Amino acid sequence: MARVAATGGASGRISLLPRCGQMSWFEIALLLACVAWVGVGLAPSLADVTVLTFLLAGLALAWNIAGGYAGLISFGHAAFFGIGAYASTILLLSYDLTPWIGILVGAVAAAIAGSVLAVICARLRGPFFILSTLAFAEVVRIGALNWSSLTGGAEGLSIAPMPDLANMVLASKSAYAALMLCYLGLAFAVTRGIEASRFGYYLLAIRDSDEAAAAAGINPLLVRTGAMALSAALTGIGGTLFAQYFLYLDPTYVISPELSFQLALLPAVGGLGTAIGPVLGSFVITPLSELLRSYLGNAATGLHLVIYSLVLIVVMLYFPSGIAGALDRLTRRKAPP
Amino acid sequence: MSTIVQLIVSGVLIGSVYALMSIGLTLVFGVLRIVNFAHGEFLMIAMYGAWAMSHWVGLNPYAAIIAVVPAMFLFGGLVYRLVVRPGLDKPHLVVVFATMALSIFLQNAALMLMTADLRDVPPIFARSIVIGPIYIKGEMLLGFVVTLICTAALQWMIKRTHLGKAIRATVQDGEAAMLMGIAVPKIFLITFALGSALVGLAACVMLPLFSVFPTVGLNFVLIAFVIVALGGMGSIECALLGGVCVGVVQSVSGYYVAPAIGQLFFFLLFLLVMIFRPNGLLGQKGTAMLGVNE
Repeated sequence: MARVAATGGASGRISLLPRCGQMSWFEIALLLACVAWVGVGLAPSLADVTVLTFLLAGLALAWNIAGGYAGLISFGHAAFFGIGAYASTILLLSYDLTPWIGILVGAVAAAIAGSVLAVICARLRGPFFILSTLAFAEVVRIGALNWSSLTGGAEGLSIAPMPDLANMVLASKSAYAALMLCYLGLAFAVTRGIEASRFGYYLLAIRDSDEAAAAAGINPLLVRTGAMALSAALTGIGGTLFAQYFLYLDPTYVISPELSFQLALLPAVGGLGTAIGPVLGSFVITPLSELLRSYLGNAATGLHLVIYSLVLIVVMLYFPSGIAGALDRLTRRKAPP
Repeated sequence: MSTIVQLIVSGVLIGSVYALMSIGLTLVFGVLRIVNFAHGEFLMIAMYGAWAMSHWVGLNPYAAIIAVVPAMFLFGGLVYRLVVRPGLDKPHLVVVFATMALSIFLQNAALMLMTADLRDVPPIFARSIVIGPIYIKGEMLLGFVVTLICTAALQWMIKRTHLGKAIRATVQDGEAAMLMGIAVPKIFLITFALGSALVGLAACVMLPLFSVFPTVGLNFVLIAFVIVALGGMGSIECALLGGVCVGVVQSVSGYYVAPAIGQLFFFLLFLLVMIFRPNGLLGQKGTAMLGVNE
């Protein structure tokens, strides 16, 4: 996955297709299209899938900070998602604290959990790292399931469905879509910010070689911890938004390995280590899976996931740099350097 | 006192069955340097296969071994050709994600064909074996014996036969093995198929002990990962050690704390091992770096 920093030739101009460290016409058009899509008002049948697509795109971007840029492939991000969701919901239900503040508490709690995970896995690479993140999320899930005085256990927690802006319970699905789009925008801006910063280069350095990075004066553990904490914090924010949209939480879904896998697959399909990749991944895969679910879900249980997973296998094996990689090849053919 | 002995005995027996289920994973990891995230789903379909043999053909699950093991060998070869080999020359993440997508595929194919109902077979042995104050389930004892025979046979195969030597050479240095005239791609294929066949064997032994349902693989694959990492990936005796550790931790903590929390303990055990002994309990130096893009 060769990555090129912004080339001198294109400086001062906005490029057509996404490049590292540059905004492109493609991204601006995509953003405007999203704003228009939400602004025009959503058809009820499309509202759910729009909200979900934006939310998952934001979560995929969050995962990509650790997984794509820093090479910390985590199959345990559902833990951070759950921590964010539970933190704000428990604060709301037990202490009447508005989720607008709870979301920040959730983000901080998730960031702390992310740092702990990064320190636990300090010496691990490759498959062992992946398995440890999986085990970490299982510890959090079993903990949440059994600490029922705090989390409601298997019965879960419900938020009263009374529209109230102060409690982040919105009246219409369009309003939720706008909220999710803001989250997507935040995650995208953070990703672009990292790309343009010194920290971003540190991440790429430790992804490509720990030893070389350390020799160049980077502290790998510190950078890994930072990347994981940032990624976890953004994931935690997504968790709170999810809780405020569905108004119900239970550990078997919110902290499930399935969710962790989903969060990792979206950026992998879209293109790891690119800002636009996770967004494209979610924009293609989420509506596809929802569409399959609504058309085939009744015909035969599981059929939609059978087709979905076949698509994923083919994409992973034959387009390993994802949708963004395919786009990148397209531009290179047009304009050879 | 007899309680604790009972717990340890049950733990060792169930742990050895867990070890049998993990050997395929550790073998594939040791030779191909990949983690098969669909390993649990291989177990699930093999358990369905054994169940189908017992329910529709009327075979005893242990007799079903003769059908299930060869079928899983072929299935493993097929998966290797279609999913694993195309990803081997790409970044190691590709195989990780492809096998993960495969696990979603197999789970949902099973859900479609077999529905979400729990399937099980009637108990094989009418009563437990009693030795002094200790009660032992016949199915567990049989699982233990099968595991011991299978590990011994595998060890013999790896140490003594030509195929075993070729496998060991491939593990040590794939390129040098190829220069010595070993068909490394064929060794990969055989190892992957053999790993799947071992899962088939484990499934036949486990069916009398556990129900099968489409997502059963997830529970077991997590246990298998813990065992394989505890033992230090890639070694068969160490998988046995890891399995026994997990089994004892699960049975003791399940009795003294609560069955649900028993699981929590072995994940914590796993994380502790990863922090303090990332190469596994008996692992050689450098095991933790296996499978990292080289």
